[in-house]
Amino acid sequence: MNFLANSIDWGRFGIVLALFFGIALVFAILILIITKVCKVEEDKKVAAILERLGGSNCGGCGCSGCAAFAQKLAEGKGNVADCHSTSKENTKEIAKILGVEVEESEPTMSVVKCCGGVNAKDRFDYIGYKGCSQMSDAFQGGNQVCATACLGGGDCKEKCPHDAIKIVDGVSKIDKSRCTSCGACITACPKNIIERIPRKAKVYIGCSNKCKGKEVLGACSVGCIACGMCAKKCPEGAITMVNNLPVIDYSKCTGCKTCVGVCPRKTIQEI
Amino acid sequence: MLNTIFMMFITALFVNNFVVIQFLGVCPFLGVSKNTSSAFGMGVAVTVVMILATLVTYPLYTYILVPLGIDFLEIIFFIFIIAALVQMLEKVLKKFVPSLYSSLGIYLPLITTNCAVLGVTELVIDGGSMEGLLGIAAGTWGLGYSLIYALFAGIGFLLAIVMMSGLRERVELYRMPKSLKGFPISMVLAAFMAMAFYVFTMI
Repeated sequence: MNFLANSIDWGRFGIVLALFFGIALVFAILILIITKVCKVEEDKKVAAILERLGGSNCGGCGCSGCAAFAQKLAEGKGNVADCHSTSKENTKEIAKILGVEVEESEPTMSVVKCCGGVNAKDRFDYIGYKGCSQMSDAFQGGNQVCATACLGGGDCKEKCPHDAIKIVDGVSKIDKSRCTSCGACITACPKNIIERIPRKAKVYIGCSNKCKGKEVLGACSVGCIACGMCAKKCPEGAITMVNNLPVIDYSKCTGCKTCVGVCPRKTIQEI
Repeated sequence: MLNTIFMMFITALFVNNFVVIQFLGVCPFLGVSKNTSSAFGMGVAVTVVMILATLVTYPLYTYILVPLGIDFLEIIFFIFIIAALVQMLEKVLKKFVPSLYSSLGIYLPLITTNCAVLGVTELVIDGGSMEGLLGIAAGTWGLGYSLIYALFAGIGFLLAIVMMSGLRERVELYRMPKSLKGFPISMVLAAFMAMAFYVFTMI
């Protein structure tokens, strides 16, 4: 210990210490001044909103994440209803924080409007990486004859934050119990065949092909050929034919499933 | 003199590029290169910190540390000063460019201990291996040359990070095996960039 104590130059040590404190003091004063000059008022609303949002960062609202959406809401630019993964109570609380009225909207879910898959005819044998955006970019919309067929590449499955999508027989199927209708799959699908329908719906049209019957006949064995049977037989008159496709008015639909039975192509799907 | 400045430009940008040749400051290089606009902001922020840091550390070293005989403590002093400068820059950015502030996020405080900034401040007082290239003796750079070199070093960083972000933006759109997606492919890209830049060391 004696050796150590003798080898320390206390004079230099003092100089270093003084220098450090001097620099620290100068910078502390500078930082203080800059902080005073550049004061930004923090918004406490953002943290409160973020706490109550769904928190899955699904991107369904169009923002890059829940934090960005909370910021947008606090600035009064966004609409709370754009978020579909926040629970009802929390949505109300957020609306209270923002001081706005939230419209009561019907709970929805997403469905893939195609049931082709293995039933849809291929234009060629595709061997390579299975990915919807890649296939649809490289081959003018994928290797199916039908232009609105589900490619089964799983882009929606990858993007789904709730693990609700499975690929069954080459078609994406959405699990109703898990779907929160966040819309991540809707933006991920390069074919734009995923749509929101009311959660209480019992049936949906499993086809998006707007071509005439003859063309669909050659492309897919389960595609809608626009025969109009469902529209004729629906006891509630809930189905109308628009652009060679049936459209279900879910406010009239009672879920009797008559249409499922009469459809000669088995296009109408039960949930 | 013009000749020296030109050689400094070539050296700092290509031959001794701080990121892809000397591998300094790789953390923000990989962290903030996801999109070009924030990468550009980061590059500018690093350049500003480099110049400010050199402006403070060079006189401190030459006129205080060396005469007092405590120049061996340079790294501690320099980190101290850089950290304080970054704190100020953070406050200024938060006030005047909030969008850049939020896009830089955690990487802005990380400039505090960014070895590229520390590297510049160390290099300009030492000169090191660049005596032959620049034609000025090591340790006799003077504040003027030091500041110019710091500016060019910052531009070198800016060049590397903007190029990287451009590449990453493109690659993001491609489908690739899941094991390569995101960060791994960025590392591969960085390696290719470093190899490409390595050609300049033959000058």
